Amino acid sequence: MVNLFRAEWTKIAGHRWLTGFLIWIFPIGAVAFTVVLAIILALSESARTSFSADTVTWTETLTGAWSFLNNPLGRLLLIGFTAVMFAGEYQWQTWKNLIPRNRRVALIVIKFLALSVFVVVAFALMSVLLTAGMGLLRAIAGASYGPEITGDVLRTTASDYARSAGLGFLSTLIAAGYAALAGMLTRSILGGVLVAYGLTILENLLLVGLILIAYFLDFRDIVHIYRLTPGYNLLNLDSWFRVGHSAPFEVMFGADDALVVRDSAEFSALVIAVWVIGLISLTIFLFRRQDITS
Amino acid sequence: MNGTNPPITTEGLTKHFGRGRKKIQAVQGVSLTVEPGQVYGFLGPNGAGKTTTIRMLLRLLHPTAGRAFIYGQDVAHHPGVLRRVGAIVEGASFYNFLPARRNLEVFSRTADQYDPARIDALLAQVGLAERKNQRVKGYSTGMKQRLGLAAALLGDPDLLILDEPTNGLDPSGMHEIREFIRRLATEQGKTIFLSSHLLSEVEQICDRVAIIQRGAIVREGAVSELLEARTSLRIEASPLDTAAAILSEHWPVTTNTTWLSVQAARDDIPAIVRNLVQRNIDVYQITSQRQSLEEYFLSVVSEEAPHG
Repeated sequence: MVNLFRAEWTKIAGHRWLTGFLIWIFPIGAVAFTVVLAIILALSESARTSFSADTVTWTETLTGAWSFLNNPLGRLLLIGFTAVMFAGEYQWQTWKNLIPRNRRVALIVIKFLALSVFVVVAFALMSVLLTAGMGLLRAIAGASYGPEITGDVLRTTASDYARSAGLGFLSTLIAAGYAALAGMLTRSILGGVLVAYGLTILENLLLVGLILIAYFLDFRDIVHIYRLTPGYNLLNLDSWFRVGHSAPFEVMFGADDALVVRDSAEFSALVIAVWVIGLISLTIFLFRRQDITS
Repeated sequence: MNGTNPPITTEGLTKHFGRGRKKIQAVQGVSLTVEPGQVYGFLGPNGAGKTTTIRMLLRLLHPTAGRAFIYGQDVAHHPGVLRRVGAIVEGASFYNFLPARRNLEVFSRTADQYDPARIDALLAQVGLAERKNQRVKGYSTGMKQRLGLAAALLGDPDLLILDEPTNGLDPSGMHEIREFIRRLATEQGKTIFLSSHLLSEVEQICDRVAIIQRGAIVREGAVSELLEARTSLRIEASPLDTAAAILSEHWPVTTNTTWLSVQAARDDIPAIVRNLVQRNIDVYQITSQRQSLEEYFLSVVSEEAPHG
């Protein structure tokens, strides 16, 4: 399994353009952001004053970096990346070299794992660079950058960080699940990326569709279906981890008639777990039965 | 346990694609056995079912019916046995964005058989040692074929399944690879299952062949036996037209300007001479000519082709 993982890692890391544009762009972006802001702060007194007025803590910066993976734009980038790595095996005609060498289940599971670990490593790097960069910027502006490092702060931050990183890992697994299914369906990189994007956009548009159905059929409970989507639950769980409360969604059915949906972290964790297990299981099931004709 | 089992056995291997009116019968009831140490040629026109059969042997396609065994183990239930197999299927394909050596590293690690020394040795063996760190994107088709052969040999397999291994190679490259394949069988005792369009190549290196057409095996046997049974006789006689008329009552005859070509075995020569002499034909010379595999293949394919 270690060798299989390293094989996947070699492939992912070796595709420099893909990883450069879709994954390494985050840590590189963190450095670029720091450099640009440092120049601005160094040159502008008013920028330094304004920057100092904001309350920024290193703990929030460290864990906040992960939330990008759970928002729609972050997920689109992730899906693009994972779709290429799954659909690519069809387009490059490389499955025929791999399948006789190992079990199909192992090939798919390790691909999911390697892609997710790769993304987590890149984002861990980004969060560290961003936190260090922000420290530098705060120093330039002469502002505080708390909290003070104590045993309790370290323990709490480590726990928050692990949860955020774990959520990022799950988010990547879900993106990879969409991408794997799209790749298997289309057997081409472009098709895989487009179908996976289509699935994600559909997921985001689902709420609009549900609201329209609720209006026209006067069946407001149908909106609750949105609570089962991975996108909503990733954002909800992210909110619970970072700010300690849910990320509710609100649907107005009249001036005084609003449907507000709030879910617990446990509910969202359960839904995400079902999605992750479901997508990976479905991918394995289909891949085991699939004829490799290219 | 596997020592006595043949490297390849198929029992009624069948593959259909599509359903209803769109159903294509790609392979129908293919049964064959490849013995250890053999170089076995698998011949057939384009679309005959060669690659589909090979893909079923490698578990890339699921048979509609029948079973494929590698060293006595059903590949559908014991995919691990495929670690004893190295293969090139429909030309070599790689991760073009990775260097050649990295590609081999990926394949060997996938099989849990990573051995850097063997990778370097194989790259040297196929003449790619100096360009091992170059991305495959810049490789010619011939170089990719060589790299494919190195990839197939990564796990030191007992059985090699090579689908068109000399595609894209120049004549000297073909000769080199042909010799290489032959040596793998004679010096290392490897069994080789070779699909190729180049019939002279197959004739030179294969011990046994199967000809597949429209998904079914139409001939199978040792190369020498198949060709021996299909000798043609060149007959010089006079008058030629009368001789042709007499012989065509018993054998297929082709008339040339000064001689006849008769599809008959060497054992038929006495009967032919008797027939001709009894009817006052002067016989000047009869020579036996063995068909080339190419001629044999073409005659079999035309015999089996649908008429109408």
